[in-house]
Amino acid sequence: MAAVTIDSLLQNPTLLFRPKAKVMLKPPRSLDCSRNRKLPLSRGSCFCSFNPRRTIHVVRASSSETALIGNFDTSSSDDIFYKDIFPVKRIEKVEGKFFIRLDRSKDQHDWQLTVGCSLPGKWILHWGVSYLGDSGSEWDQPPKGMRPPGSIPIKDYAIETPLKKLSEGDIFHEVKIDFNPSSEIAAIHFVLKDEETGAWYQHRGMDFKVPLVDYLEDDGNTVGAKRGFGVLSGALQQFSNVLLKSEASHADSQNNSIESKDSKNKNRCLEGFYEEQSIVKEVSVGNLVSVAVRKSPETGKVIVCLETDIPGDVVVHWGVCRDDAKIWEIPAAPYPPETTVFKNKALRTLLQPKATGNRSGALFTLDEEHFGFLFVLKLDDNTWLKFKENDFYVPLLGTSSVPGQYGQSDITTEEISSKSYTDGIINEIRNLVSGLSSEKSQKTKTKEVQESILQEIEQLAAEAYSIFRSSITTVPEEVVSETETTKPAVKISSGTGTGFEILCQGFNWESHKSGRWYMELKEKASEISSLGFTVIWLPPPTESVSPEGYMPKDLYNLNSRYGTIAELKELVKSLHEVGMKVLGDVVLNHRCAHFKNQNGVWNIFGGRLNWDDRAVVADDPHFQGRGNKSSGDNFHAAPNIDHSQEFVRKDLKEWLGWLREEIGYDGWRLDFVRGFWGGYVKDYLEASEPYFAVGEYWDSLSYTYGEMDHNQDSHRQRIVDWINATNGTAGAFDVTTKGILHSALERCEYWRLSDKKGKPPGVVGWWPSRAVTFIENHDTGSTQGHWRFPGGKEMQGYAYILTHPGTPAVFYDHIFSHHRSEIANLISVRNRNGIHCRSLVKIVKAERDVYAAIIDEKVAMKIGPGYYEPPSGSQRWSLALEGRDYKVWETS
Amino acid sequence: MEVSVIRSSSQAKISKTELGCRDLRFCFGKSNDKNKIFSRKPNSVCFDSQISRFRKAGLRFTLKAVHSDPILESKSPATSKSLDRLRLFVGLPLDAVSDGNSVNHARAIGAGLKALKLLGVEGVELPVWWGVVENEMGKYDWSGYLAVAEMVQKAGLKLHVSLCFHASSQPRIPLPKWVTKIGESQSSIFFADRSGQHYQQCLSLAVDDLAVLDGKTPVQVYQGFCESFKSTFSPFMGSTITGISMGLGPDGELRYPSHHKPAKSGTITGVGEFQCYDTNMLNLLKQYAEANGNPLWGLGGPHDAPTYDQAPNSNSFFKDHGGSWESPYGDFFLSWYSSELVSHGNRLLSLVSSIFGDTEVNVYGKVPLMHSWYKTRAHPSELTAGFYNTASRNGYEAVAEMFARNSCKIILPGMDLSDEHQPHDALSSPESLLAQIRTTCNKHRVEVAGQNLASGAPGGLEQIKKNMLGENPIDLFTYQRMGAHFFSPEHFPSFTEFVRSLSQPELHPDDLPSDEAEATESVQTSSDPNIHLQTA
Repeated sequence: MAAVTIDSLLQNPTLLFRPKAKVMLKPPRSLDCSRNRKLPLSRGSCFCSFNPRRTIHVVRASSSETALIGNFDTSSSDDIFYKDIFPVKRIEKVEGKFFIRLDRSKDQHDWQLTVGCSLPGKWILHWGVSYLGDSGSEWDQPPKGMRPPGSIPIKDYAIETPLKKLSEGDIFHEVKIDFNPSSEIAAIHFVLKDEETGAWYQHRGMDFKVPLVDYLEDDGNTVGAKRGFGVLSGALQQFSNVLLKSEASHADSQNNSIESKDSKNKNRCLEGFYEEQSIVKEVSVGNLVSVAVRKSPETGKVIVCLETDIPGDVVVHWGVCRDDAKIWEIPAAPYPPETTVFKNKALRTLLQPKATGNRSGALFTLDEEHFGFLFVLKLDDNTWLKFKENDFYVPLLGTSSVPGQYGQSDITTEEISSKSYTDGIINEIRNLVSGLSSEKSQKTKTKEVQESILQEIEQLAAEAYSIFRSSITTVPEEVVSETETTKPAVKISSGTGTGFEILCQGFNWESHKSGRWYMELKEKASEISSLGFTVIWLPPPTESVSPEGYMPKDLYNLNSRYGTIAELKELVKSLHEVGMKVLGDVVLNHRCAHFKNQNGVWNIFGGRLNWDDRAVVADDPHFQGRGNKSSGDNFHAAPNIDHSQEFVRKDLKEWLGWLREEIGYDGWRLDFVRGFWGGYVKDYLEASEPYFAVGEYWDSLSYTYGEMDHNQDSHRQRIVDWINATNGTAGAFDVTTKGILHSALERCEYWRLSDKKGKPPGVVGWWPSRAVTFIENHDTGSTQGHWRFPGGKEMQGYAYILTHPGTPAVFYDHIFSHHRSEIANLISVRNRNGIHCRSLVKIVKAERDVYAAIIDEKVAMKIGPGYYEPPSGSQRWSLALEGRDYKVWETS
Repeated sequence: MEVSVIRSSSQAKISKTELGCRDLRFCFGKSNDKNKIFSRKPNSVCFDSQISRFRKAGLRFTLKAVHSDPILESKSPATSKSLDRLRLFVGLPLDAVSDGNSVNHARAIGAGLKALKLLGVEGVELPVWWGVVENEMGKYDWSGYLAVAEMVQKAGLKLHVSLCFHASSQPRIPLPKWVTKIGESQSSIFFADRSGQHYQQCLSLAVDDLAVLDGKTPVQVYQGFCESFKSTFSPFMGSTITGISMGLGPDGELRYPSHHKPAKSGTITGVGEFQCYDTNMLNLLKQYAEANGNPLWGLGGPHDAPTYDQAPNSNSFFKDHGGSWESPYGDFFLSWYSSELVSHGNRLLSLVSSIFGDTEVNVYGKVPLMHSWYKTRAHPSELTAGFYNTASRNGYEAVAEMFARNSCKIILPGMDLSDEHQPHDALSSPESLLAQIRTTCNKHRVEVAGQNLASGAPGGLEQIKKNMLGENPIDLFTYQRMGAHFFSPEHFPSFTEFVRSLSQPELHPDDLPSDEAEATESVQTSSDPNIHLQTA
């Protein structure tokens, strides 16, 4: 009765609304309507993607109704006792591009946003604007003058404008929106919609956002200042706004005040850009597989004739069965040509192209004692066509094919194909969603509700809404096809790199001692790369009051205890040669002064950046700065730089640009970012366009009576808030995870590794793509040992972070130790299974003495002395790695 | 009373027999020996033997009503608590299947079904149109509707089918073409008003038993339709399909089309007009007048009734004091006019209940909520619609009695309407009218299911909740209707909230599931207080 349970709905949402091509069957009109008459049913549009169609099983070719079955090769129809057509669905991918361009319109006065898409379809731009001073993510309708002709207002918050081809020959459907940059519009938001299919193209589940006023330009610096493309980060902001808490709104107001202050003497300045992304639309294609069974009068054998119009090589994976249990057996020879035996379980026959048309088929001659013919179709290694998740079944005994018999009347097919990528995206969205809800409840303490189900409902409702709304008129849908939105290929963002990064911290607290660290490291470059690392973090390169480099003085002097600037360049070059990206450790929070002021306080700088005490924050009495108050915490050993000063920011951006150019750094590790507002970091990152950036936001976890609290939500919230303030342009070290691992491992309290929502308890549970997980660094470990990871448990820590989402970072000391091979193995498991920063974790055990999780359904792991084995279900798990109190399995 | 019995029983999974007994005792209360009734085995004998008696006594409804619900409920123990308690249905789009017999917006409906299931909704209501299925007389094409039924079944939802023998203007779903064609040459198959204007959205009730449709009577045609439906959908009957509404007139409701045009929201509705001017109605009136010895009264309807959009006082018929409605003529006319409507309802409901009597499907008919002018003495809107309900006469007695006789349940729309939101000058009171009809139904032990008039009425969801959870609760409600508005951001979140709030209230201890044995006991001990509670 209730065929679908709620559980299965939740697990498999993508399969639920698979498209159905409708095969129009005209019911015979001449039938008299006696009431038990079973009409052939065209139940084409069915739930759950099935396309069942009642077919008529003609016993002994009884009537002209065979005509319904279509153009099947029926040479000797007299003997046919079974005949059926199975509609099957395949997904074909159509690739195309879509672009966003912002430029000046012809009269050079107004600006124009152009969105285009090269895929065929009925594209609609669903868009709105936000105004200056708006908070939250609400859209407003744009002013009338901005709406291109043909726009339709949707309620009071959006506009829908169709994309059109400018001329017949154009590849792109385009829409252009003109606007006046001096208006109050802060951003244009949009999503792209394919009206034919109802599919929405969004940016990672969010709106696209084109900010129009974010940038405040220095007059002298407009030339050559390359801008980061705003869409990606804008989209993140969109998300962030939802996630953002009170602190963020505080930050907003700061931002606004600065803007208003600055805009008094600066013009706001827009920059054009052009961004192109590939877009993949999956179009379902309906094909037919027809099967007829007849008995050869001469030989008494049963001949199964199988034909299909699926293009390309189609392999029939087949067997026979003796009874209703449908156990596969291999029949006796002869087999059709191009048949191979597969693992002694089945036969595989390549269908031969027919002379006429695009069809292929095969004839199978079988002894008549067989009960049924079983088969599935194999299109390629990943794509199998099955029948309702089962084998296709064709009865071979003439008597068994009674019309209406269950099994034949309910013919459905669906495709199972490699959907892991789209699933991954859905998972990611869900991940974010549940992260969101976990926060909600944390903040508002609402009662426990099944947010995820509600989310599911909302998504379904939105889908239904878009379809109902778009087709008010009742046009019978001949073919309903659905497309799965596949996101454009991996997009590099400074917050995540490619998403598949593994970070190596390439120094420790002692590395400065030899005075030639750069050269020593250079020799290890290929070795480090071969372990599977993609990014390496080098020590702070500037002249420094302390030998380790964290008390910088002259930022442009890159001769340090680690080596000379020339050696640094050489090292970076070698690292690039072995395929690694290089992060520079930049200290932006503070800077040691060269000179004393009139009061004898060290706050006057020298060198190329000869700032005075206006560059120093005002709220640290030790340094008597004349700048504004600090936007973060103070580091008391040196003057803290006032990032609210325009000239400071300009100088720092220039410096970062110089480092990128001169040294070849690809990105940044940002020291002590607690000391200043994340919004400035965003500014710096957008100016220096790093490949990857990670900030050190390190503050204390929550403890009650000396014991660490289970709930570290407030701790991770602070880190997430910072990431958020950077607009997601930077990741952050997941200090929360390290702290929780400490307690869990040291005290054998593995239950701590699941938060109350069943997610990882660190930043990685809330914003995995921005979490840089680590267990040790030069401060916490090495010879300082401020907060050393529990001894002997390091490999458990690595087994955790190297199998989990987030971007894992491995400390130099651990790489070059006895842990090396184990770490290398973990990295190779990670890479082999494609675990990335957004992988999905399913925590299966978080008990006193054992924690176990399955990541992306591909890797299972456990840490702790307790027992865990992955389930022996449909997936076969094989042990990949084993060490002291940890095990890792992968699917075989 | 019925409501309460079924509600608790569905939780407790009491067997059919026991329930039957329980209700029998209600009917024949004091004369029966309590112990005998509750001993199981003899009981089933007496049960059977009594059925015929009840039938004759016109009391079969009690059994019948009990008969279906609990059995269905016990078949689906997997449904969640809220569903056992309050069965909420959502109407599918009117044009889920229109021309071409394909499912419109199948994907949207699919998504919608899934969403509803996740929300915990019990089922959906599907309008099945005469004009879609029977394109040629006697030839039925159910394929589109079968597809929908299958979708619903796959989604794990229940299905309530509304058989629509009327036409719809928005979305446009006409009567079968062949019927329209007959109507073109023979307009008297439609209702007509005083000015001779025909209402072509449904057949006049006066032709029910006249062979106007190519030699068949409309009742025979309806019968063929229903039987074809029954046999075609037999795999779904009782499992997926749990209820059927019989279309009884305009918009499926038991009434005269006293308003030809749909009322504009926010404006005060006029009183409407009597629809007794088609040839056949006039014939019936004439016969009736002659039989009553007043042949002159049978020549036409009231001459002093206002027109459609007029207020009651604009002419003398509906005047609060000294209006003709209170005259002997008025009584004569209104008695006839209303009794014709009840007889029509009886014809169709007895037909449909005999067709579906052997299934586990509940049969419903829809009674309109003509709430305009309810605060006047004459209740003109009800009178023109065919309900002889005035300040001094309960016109719903005859209606409820007719439903009871046919073991049918009543669907009452307008449960989302509150007095507060009615135009002040309309002298309307949906809440009082609703209360009156429900009291009358209770008296006749006709179960009432609810429906809203339109989604988005101000305060509608709160009012529905009040009706569903109030002291006299409704246990089946159909929410109208799925579509763009339903899923829109303005509406859907509040609907979600509404559904969730319905399942929030703590279950009364009586409603908690318990073992059968316990339940039987509790029936014995608690039945009496229950009665008092409910009838009080």
